[in-house]
Amino acid sequence: MQAKINTHLIEIFKTECGSVYQCDQTNHFILEYAGRVTAFKPINFIDFTKRVFAINLHDMASNTARHADIAILMPLYTETCFLLTMIDTIRLQRILGGAKTILHLHTLLRTNQLQFA
Amino acid sequence: MKDLLRLRTSLTEEIEALLNEQIKVEAYSSSIYLAMSSWCDRNGYDNSAGYLEKQSGEEREHMLKLFRYVNDLGGSAVSPEVTNIPQEFDSFKGVFEMALQQEIQVTSNFNRIADRCQKANDYVTFQFLQWFLKEQVEEEYVARRILELFDVIGEEGAGRWEIDKHIPKVSFGNAGE
Ligand SMILES: [Fe+2]
Ligand SMILES: [Fe+2]
Repeated sequence: MQAKINTHLIEIFKTECGSVYQCDQTNHFILEYAGRVTAFKPINFIDFTKRVFAINLHDMASNTARHADIAILMPLYTETCFLLTMIDTIRLQRILGGAKTILHLHTLLRTNQLQFA
Repeated sequence: MKDLLRLRTSLTEEIEALLNEQIKVEAYSSSIYLAMSSWCDRNGYDNSAGYLEKQSGEEREHMLKLFRYVNDLGGSAVSPEVTNIPQEFDSFKGVFEMALQQEIQVTSNFNRIADRCQKANDYVTFQFLQWFLKEQVEEEYVARRILELFDVIGEEGAGRWEIDKHIPKVSFGNAGE
């Protein structure tokens, strides 16, 4: 049976490690990372992005305690739990940061706020 | 493609964060005025204690005004955590010096937020802030007038008793009357 292609899915940003999609049918953002797919409501997507950027990379690198090697994130209203190493954190920051920039750019374009000097 | 972030709220992440910060500042103001009220009460300045308690209530109203606005626009207002409220003050006059400083800080915060709103083309919030900017003119005026009482009446003899009696009567409305 052929899988139904979801035409509501729009790619927002992609790196070699993962990607963010937007689903115009469910109004969700979908993060695909390390073979796992997580759907977020917009507000929770923003919250998750903030948390990923709040991870203290410097502390992860310099703190010798074993628990400091990993950051644990449990996004609101999702079933998933993220155990992030330093590399994971950097990769996720790239994906989420990129997605955020693209979304912001879309808003600017839509509202004609872009001005070219 | 839908603008999912815009569908949620017309507030940008930056403005929403600034408003939430200000919610916290107003909550802090409310708490510090309450601490001042308590200090005045236990030091025998009954009228000032009453005035400061009322002021504390007004600051809470300011906080709620911001709080409701953020939620009304689809944002997430954050119930603030308020810590480090001083409970002791140097002197009767010191209480009101601190009050004026707090109001000046609040005015500059609102100016900063208004500036960010203009830069972000958020004229809805800019408009909303006008009420607060006007309110701050009044708040600073009253705080300054109260401080002047310390010079005009003088703290010697029954001076502080006299000052305390006058504090609740200071208002922006009857300026110059
Ligand atoms: Fe206020
Ligand atoms: Fe105030």
